[in-house]
Amino acid sequence: MRLDQITKNGLFRVKSLNCDNECVARLMSMGLLPDQEIRLMHEAPLGDPIAIEFNGCNMSLRLVDAANIEVEPIE
Amino acid sequence: MTAPKKEIRIALIGNPNTGKTSLFNTLTGMRQRVGNYSGVTVEKKTGTWTMPQGQEVELIDLPGTYSLSATSLDERVAVDVLAGHEAGQTAPDLIIVVVDVENLRRNLFLASQAAELGVPMVIALNCWDVAEKKGLQIDSKLLEQRLAVPVVPTIAKHTRGTLELAKAVERAIDTRPKLVRPKWPESVQTALSKLHDELITQRGESLREGELQRLLFDRNSAVRERLESTPEDYEPIIKATRDQLYKDGYQPDAAESLLRYRFLNPLLNDILERQALLKHRSKSEGIDQLLLHKFWGLMVFIGMMYVVFQSVYTWAGPIMDLIEGGVGWVQGIAADALVATPMLQSLIADGIIGGVGAFLVFLPQILVLFFFISLLEASGYMARAAFLMDKLFQWCGLNGKSFVPLLTGFACAIPGIMATRTISDNKARMITILITPLMSCSARLPVYLLLIGAFIEPRYGPSVAGATLFGMHFIGALLAAPLAWMLNKTLNRGRSAPPFVMELPHYRVPQISLVFHRMFESGKEFVVRAGTVIFAMSIIIWALLYFPRPFEVTSAVARDLGNEFTESMHQFESEEAFLEELSKRTDAAYLEQSYMGRFGKFVQPVFAPAGYDWKITVGVLASFPAREIIISTLGITYALGGEIDEESDDLRSTLTNAKWEDGPRKGEDVFNIPVALSIMVFFALCMQCGATLAVIAKELNWGWAVASFFTLTGVAWIAAVLTYQIGMLFV
Repeated sequence: MRLDQITKNGLFRVKSLNCDNECVARLMSMGLLPDQEIRLMHEAPLGDPIAIEFNGCNMSLRLVDAANIEVEPIE
Repeated sequence: MTAPKKEIRIALIGNPNTGKTSLFNTLTGMRQRVGNYSGVTVEKKTGTWTMPQGQEVELIDLPGTYSLSATSLDERVAVDVLAGHEAGQTAPDLIIVVVDVENLRRNLFLASQAAELGVPMVIALNCWDVAEKKGLQIDSKLLEQRLAVPVVPTIAKHTRGTLELAKAVERAIDTRPKLVRPKWPESVQTALSKLHDELITQRGESLREGELQRLLFDRNSAVRERLESTPEDYEPIIKATRDQLYKDGYQPDAAESLLRYRFLNPLLNDILERQALLKHRSKSEGIDQLLLHKFWGLMVFIGMMYVVFQSVYTWAGPIMDLIEGGVGWVQGIAADALVATPMLQSLIADGIIGGVGAFLVFLPQILVLFFFISLLEASGYMARAAFLMDKLFQWCGLNGKSFVPLLTGFACAIPGIMATRTISDNKARMITILITPLMSCSARLPVYLLLIGAFIEPRYGPSVAGATLFGMHFIGALLAAPLAWMLNKTLNRGRSAPPFVMELPHYRVPQISLVFHRMFESGKEFVVRAGTVIFAMSIIIWALLYFPRPFEVTSAVARDLGNEFTESMHQFESEEAFLEELSKRTDAAYLEQSYMGRFGKFVQPVFAPAGYDWKITVGVLASFPAREIIISTLGITYALGGEIDEESDDLRSTLTNAKWEDGPRKGEDVFNIPVALSIMVFFALCMQCGATLAVIAKELNWGWAVASFFTLTGVAWIAAVLTYQIGMLFV
């Protein structure tokens, strides 16, 4: 599943990242790497951007960039 | 000649929101200098830190960054300073990395990158108190052993730990401890030594090992802009090594993150283990359930912006009135004292004191706004506000952080433009600065009120008058959108916008002393740096309105008025009324004679398509330093005196009755609805504010200030002409 297509908040695990996207490259330098657990926390009132949490830090990112992150839900 | 004593220089780096600036303030006291790095708009803050032994060291507060990948200006400055490439400086003697205990892993990533530049390091574990409260305990001794550099717990707010930090720094200056560095896999090592060979050995570039890594790992590293060789020369070299790395199975853009975290994680995992047990929701998350809620979050945001806007608009109002009153009072005293020397009287009262008043009057708004901005930033809410609003701005290359400056622009563009400093993306900041003057500021209100009150309301009633007032506030914003879009398309073409990933930091209770410090700093900066320019402009405009002053004007006016007086015996009730009328008419005649008056008549044909006669033209021209001046200028040209305001019935009825004095439309009304609308539209869009220009010049440069002046004035003229011409079709 792509991170931008997820509609429900919850826990996910990162499967792969497209580091051609600068936002993704930046998130990777903050520790968003494959197998990292992330939590989808919020969606802005207009549906974009979204807020995710990983390793204790909350980051906001836009849907266009979130499309470069592949995740799977953690049951 | 003796060589200057070598001063010890220490650079402070860290992620944003780690309390780095707070620590900087604590260490330096308020002994700091704020400037810019040469050639870029990145703020350079340096200060003096007095060590316990009495030695003074220079402390450099580098911009907060998450990594040294050098794609943004901030990061580039950080790399340049740390590598000793800042003009005229060597590398610092020591780096203090400020690390937020709650985000240890991510913060140490930056430390690890910085260590590659070869400078000794001390780590300050900041926010120790918050972490302790949350039950986080980090074994700083163990961490120190693992990392091989001193690790000192600090609490910047309460100066706790600063003594220990000073001692560690004193020792480190001698022992020069270096952070442990990862051992790169063979393919990375090969790539690095190839770069070393080609760039340093063969081409003589002065680069540090850490900078070679930047060239290898970062796609658009700004380090390459610093190379001596030509792009045609070095690009193939860098590309070849990156391609080789890719063939070896390391995607170059991802390699550094993967490898560095792979190196850091084993060092930190057991130390951080206890942190992992704290699964309970933090306070910030609880607050965000409300503040980032799709509906309630928006409501709270609107409420908060309402309070900020109202405060800038109304709280500052009485203080501004007080300043205006005070300036008027001083002007009165000066005028009385210098009554014998009219020119000096006018220079000092109208030119100098009026000029000082012209920029002091903005100070309350700036202080009030920066009080709120500092509060919102320090608490962590500003990022949330940007999160909520971001979508609205995405399409024109801006981001959510443009909202507060633009909203403030409706009160006054000057604090609005200064507030753009919160926007880290340089291009977005630039666009926001350039469109903020289009927001209808409070100085336009008198113009709208005068013209609507005189022409729209009497004929169409209060509801149309209200709608017109609303429309005037809206027209600038309407134009700002396409302008922003165009600027986004044209500025730095080819360079993609920096990524918009934004941290939503943990909420913190703002440190009140820092909030006030920031508020006064911004006020001081405005007065010192913009104030002087505004002052100079006011004096020039004063001179243009005052000179020349041929004496014949007085006698001619006196003669004319005397003739009128004899023709109609009962026109004046008293001698005083006669003298007052005489003085008003003399002022009007002098204004007509002045360079500004002559210039107004000369350029009137330019404004003729917008329906303006020479008096309106002079009013428009005289209002370029500050748009509200039009009211008093119209007062003087129509011989009503300059002490008039927009509510004046005299002024309104005079405008309604004004006729063309000559030309093809002689005898017709000067002011009709299209003219009134055209003037309002012109004022809504035009850059008639010397203070705004000075602030744009200070935040960007004079080139942009001049460009925006001509663009907005041109746009305003076109819009005014269109309004008049289209309006005349319906009259």
